[in-house]
Parts: sequence; C-alpha cells; structure tokens
Amino acid sequence: MKTLKQRSANSRPSPEAALSIATTAAPNLPPAQLGSRDRPTTLNIRLRSSTFAAITGRARERGMTIKQVLCQALADAGVAVAEADLEDRTPRRRG
Amino acid sequence: MSVITIASSKGGPGKTTVCQALATSLAGELRVVALDADPTQALSRWAANAYEGPPIEVLAEPDETRLAHLIAAKADAADLVLVDTAGFGNRAATVAMTSADAVLVPSLSGEADVTEAEKTIRLVAALAQAARREIPARVLLNRVRRTTLARHAAAELEAAGLPRMTVTLSDLVAYGEMTYSGRLAASGQPAAEIAALIAELRELGWVSVHALQQHVAS
Repeated sequence: MKTLKQRSANSRPSPEAALSIATTAAPNLPPAQLGSRDRPTTLNIRLRSSTFAAITGRARERGMTIKQVLCQALADAGVAVAEADLEDRTPRRRG
Repeated sequence: MSVITIASSKGGPGKTTVCQALATSLAGELRVVALDADPTQALSRWAANAYEGPPIEVLAEPDETRLAHLIAAKADAADLVLVDTAGFGNRAATVAMTSADAVLVPSLSGEADVTEAEKTIRLVAALAQAARREIPARVLLNRVRRTTLARHAAAELEAAGLPRMTVTLSDLVAYGEMTYSGRLAASGQPAAEIAALIAELRELGWVSVHALQQHVAS
C-alpha cells in the first residue's frame, strides 16, 4: 500500500528540516552575525606518522573531521573548546 | 505553543518595539519566551536592563542552527514564542520564518519600507511552499500618522495583494519611552492599540485563546 503524505500537514518542521528548507529557499543569505569576537586562528602541530594515521583512522570510523576528533577529545578532557570547533564545517559541493 | 516571528528585510520598521509591546502586554497571561535573533541584541538588553513587568524568558541567539533548535524546544514549553530578527535578509531570520506559525512584518509608510515588506511576505510564501505548510504572514503598518502618505502606503500594500493587519500602530512617544522605561502605559492610546493588535492576533488564531484560558485557570 502506498504511503501518501499529506500536502499541508501544518505542523512545524523539525529544526533540521527548517534549516534545510531555509537554505534551499534562500541559499545566498548571509549569517545574522557576520563577525565574532572569537575569531578563527590556525594551529599547526607536527606529529609522528603513526599518530596522524591513528587520528585519521578514528575520524574515518566516526565520520568526523580530524579537527573534530581532536577538539572532541580536548572537550572531553575538560578543555573549553568553542562549540563551532566541534562542528563539521567542511564546505561541500551542492547537487 | 504558538511561534510568531517578527521579521522584515528592512532595518528600523519597529520589529523590536512590536516584540517588546507584545511581550509586555501578554506576559501576565501567558508564558512568553522572546528569542532575540538580532545580533544588535536590543531586545535582550531591554529585557536585562529596563523591563519591569511579569517574567519573560528572553534568550539571544543569532546563530541559525542553534536558533532552529531553540525555537523547537521553546515552542513545546511556552504558550507564545516571539522571535525578533535582524533588519536585513539573513539565515537566522529565514530559519525563524520557516519555523514560525505566523510572521508579522512591521513596516513604515516609506517606499523602501513597503518594498522590503513585500519582499519579506514573498519570502515567507516561498518558505511555506518549500515546507509544504501554511505560514500566514501579515504586514503591520507602524508609526502611522494620519497623512496622505500613510493612506498611500496602505493602498500600495493592497495593490500588491499583500495581507495586512487591520490594526495599525501610531507614531507615539510612548513606544519609544517603553524601550527605556521597560513598561507600556496601562491606559491611553498605546495600550488600546496593543490591546487591539492582540485581539486581532487572537482572532487570526496566531495567539492561542486556549492557552490564554488554560493559563488564567491554572
């Protein structure tokens, strides 16, 4: 039996759906807050290949970025990691 | 229970003032949550420094992802969630409009104001279509004076087929004073105008009468 969805069930969309709809309907809008006092910066660290391989392996296993793996571990250890550094903000191609 | 987003892609039509006036006037009867999605945080500052009425929970959140989750969480907990947005096209405002049960679009009478109000109403229609749900939106003419200009603005909205609130808010000092004093006079023209606005919102079903009755009874 076919599952036919109601065209206008007037319930509010989930947060994920609202974000997706807003991005699709108005893809070129900027964020509300353009600047932040907590500006991004760069950290370069030299690691042994084996350590790097272990981190990338863990990232692959969990579907995370290397930065996320490192920042999540630091956050779990009690370091005050900014929420933005725990998110996957990798630019992705559309379509 | 009910989420009303106050939005316009134009700065300065009185979004925050309308939000403050509604929150102030409804907080005694309803559990009101006001979400401040405008990075200028005018609403949050007002709530922290000036507001003196019954409790309102005011939270500042300009990030669209966190705002989407906040709206969902607060919609379940409060009788009325008001979302104040920044006065330019931005992601947080778009998410707030998508998540809303209704959108109120304050507008002054100038050409640029009416044009941006129209853009905002059209955007809400596009979001509603994408979400496959109804998101009613209406223009609220604000700082209205009895002039040819105000009548012309109303005629322009009508010609463009834009729905608007029957109630209009006048150009009164009391609204500006409220931003400093944290209170709106309980009587006189401003109180009557906001009461009429709330009555119309109830009539439209944007503010739940059921919630009002439930809260008063408890």
